[in-house]
Amino acid sequence: MNAVVNVAPTSPAIVQLEGASKTYRLGENRVVALRNIHLQLHGGEFAALKGPSGSGKTTLLNLCGLLDTPDAGRYLIDGQDTAALSQQQLALLRRQHIGFVFQGFNLVPVMTTSENVEYPLLLTGLPKAQRKTRVEAMLERVGLAAVARHRPDQLSGGQRQRVAVARALVKEPKLVIADEPTANLDTDTARHIIDLMHELGRTHRTTFLIATHDERMAARCDRSLTIFDGALQ
Amino acid sequence: MKWLIFACKNVLRNRRRAAITVLIAAVGTGAVLIGGGFALYTFQSLQEMSARDTGHIVIAQRNFFTQEEDTPMALGLSDYAALKNRLERDPRIRSALPRVQFTGLISNGDKSTVFFGTGVDPRGEFAVKGPFLKILSGAILSVKAQPGADPEVLLGKDLARQLKAQVGSSLTLLSTTTENGLNAQDVRVRGIFTVGVPEVDKRLVLTSLDTAQKLLLTDKASTVSVYLWDTELTGAVRSDLEKQLPALDLQSWWEQAYYYFAVRSLYQRIFGLLGVVIILMVAFAVWNTLAMTVVERTREIGTLRAMGTLPAQVVRNFLLEAAVIGVSGTLLGMLLAGGTTIFLALANIQMPPPPGQSEGYPLSINASVELYAATSLAVVILCIAAAWFASRSAARKPIVEALAHV
Repeated sequence: MNAVVNVAPTSPAIVQLEGASKTYRLGENRVVALRNIHLQLHGGEFAALKGPSGSGKTTLLNLCGLLDTPDAGRYLIDGQDTAALSQQQLALLRRQHIGFVFQGFNLVPVMTTSENVEYPLLLTGLPKAQRKTRVEAMLERVGLAAVARHRPDQLSGGQRQRVAVARALVKEPKLVIADEPTANLDTDTARHIIDLMHELGRTHRTTFLIATHDERMAARCDRSLTIFDGALQ
Repeated sequence: MKWLIFACKNVLRNRRRAAITVLIAAVGTGAVLIGGGFALYTFQSLQEMSARDTGHIVIAQRNFFTQEEDTPMALGLSDYAALKNRLERDPRIRSALPRVQFTGLISNGDKSTVFFGTGVDPRGEFAVKGPFLKILSGAILSVKAQPGADPEVLLGKDLARQLKAQVGSSLTLLSTTTENGLNAQDVRVRGIFTVGVPEVDKRLVLTSLDTAQKLLLTDKASTVSVYLWDTELTGAVRSDLEKQLPALDLQSWWEQAYYYFAVRSLYQRIFGLLGVVIILMVAFAVWNTLAMTVVERTREIGTLRAMGTLPAQVVRNFLLEAAVIGVSGTLLGMLLAGGTTIFLALANIQMPPPPGQSEGYPLSINASVELYAATSLAVVILCIAAAWFASRSAARKPIVEALAHV
C-alpha cells in the first residue's frame, strides 16, 4: 500500500479507493484483476501508474474513470460514494468531471478536429457561443488551430494524440484518466503533450492518473504508482 | 441540428453501403407508390365507368329497387319531365336523364333473340356515356325523330352480329305492354356500339324514350338518372335530394357497382399485401445495414459512452441515421413514382382487357397525396424502428467490453 501524500484535510480526495477488488471470469477461470486497492489522489496531483501488461493497470483506470465498478471495497469520487449510483448517474458524473485519453486515440472518424474537441461540451449542454470560444482556445493551446477542420485520418499520430488530450481537457474536468498518452510519440511531441497536461493541471487543479511505460512521462509525474499482479506495490 | 449533421456524416461513412440502402428504400417506396397508384387509377376508372353507366344517383318510384313489377312500368315515374326540369336547376347536377328499361324479343324476320332495351333521351345520354359507349359504325340516335321513317335503334355489336344486322337494317321489337298485351314495333338500325363488356354487347338495344314508351304503351319512365359534375358530391347531393323527394326512392352509383367493389376488394388485398411485404423488406435491409454499422462502431460507442453519452443518446443517433436513410430513400422513391406517372401519361401504353371485358384500357398511375404521405411515413417509421432494434443492445453493452472490442 502506498503512503498518502499531500493530504489536504479541508477538501476530500478526488479519487479515494478503499480496499477495492475486481475479479473477471474468463471462460472457466476466475482472473483476479485487482486485489484490495487503497489509493487516494488529490486535486492537482499528477500520478503515473506503472506495471507490466496484464498487471491490472487498465482495470484500475476503468474503476477510477467510473467505467467499471469494484466487486468489493468502496470508491469515493470527490467524496461521493459511487456504489449507490445508477448507470445514468455514473454517466452524468463522467460527463461533468472525468476526461479520458485513450491509448488508441479513439477519435470519432467522421468528426473534424474541432467537432471531436467540442463533443464533450455538446454533452454538457453548453450554449453554442461558449462552446465555440472554448474549443478555439483549447485548439490554440494544443497548437491544432490550423487543422481544426481536418478529420482524424488527415492528421499525424502526434496531432491525433493532441486532439485526444484536448478533448479530455476541454471541459476542465476534475480527473483525467490517461492510458499511455505518450506511447508511440517522438520525444518532442511527447514532451509537448506532457507540458500541456502539466499546464492544464496547474490552471484547473485537475488530477491526472496516467498509465505509462514511458520513462519520459513517469519522470515528469509528482507521484509514481506501481501495480503488479493486481496489487499496488 | 449538430446531431443531424453527425447522422448525415455517419451515413456517408460507408458511401457504397449507404447508397445501396437508400436505393433499396427508394425502390421499395417507388414500388409501393406505383402499385398503389395503379390500384387508385383502376378504382377511379371503374368508379367512373359505374357512375357513367347508372348515373351518380338513380331516382325511382318507391319500392322500385326492392320489388319486382307485376306488369311492365307498374312502378314507373309518371311526372319525370317535371322532375328532370327541377333537378337540372341544381348547379351541381350536370343532367337528369329519364330512362325506360324493358325487355323483349328482337327479330330480323328470320330469327329472333332476347334483348334488354333502354329508352333514353338522345339529347343527354350520349354526352354522359363518354368513352364507355363507343359507336363502331353508324351514328348515335337522332334528337328529332324523322317523320314517316321507322324509329331508330342502336345495337350492341354482338347482338348485331347475331341478327346479321347492319346500319340501315330493319328489325322488329316485340315486348309485353303495360296492358298485358304484346306489341311490335318496326325499327331501323342507326348504329352499332360496344360498351366493352361482351355480356352487354350481346343483349343491349338503345332507342329513344318515345319509341320505348310507344312500344310499351306507357307515358312513364322507369328511372331518372342524375349525373353530377363531380363524383365526390354524390353523398351530399343524395341527402339533399332525399329531403326534397320524400316520396321517391334513391340509389347511389355504388349500390349497383358490384364489379367495382369486387375489383376493389381484390386489389386492396393484393396490393396491400405486396406493399406490406415490400416495406418490411426495406425495413430488414435498413436493419441489416445498421446492425453492421453498429458492430463496426462498437469501440466508438464505448468511447462516446465513456465521455458521458447516455445509451438513449447513442440509440437516438442511430435513429437519426435511419431517418436520414429513410427520408432520402422515400424522396427518391417519390421521384421514381412521379417520373413513372408522368412517363405513362405521355407514353400511352395499353393494358389488355380485364376479365369479362373486350376492350383494353390505357395504363396509367394516379398520384395521391394520401398514398404518398402514408407510404413515406410508413417507410421512415419502419426504418427508425429497425434502427432501434439494431442499436438498443449495443448501446447498453458494458463500456469496458465495448472499448475492448476489436
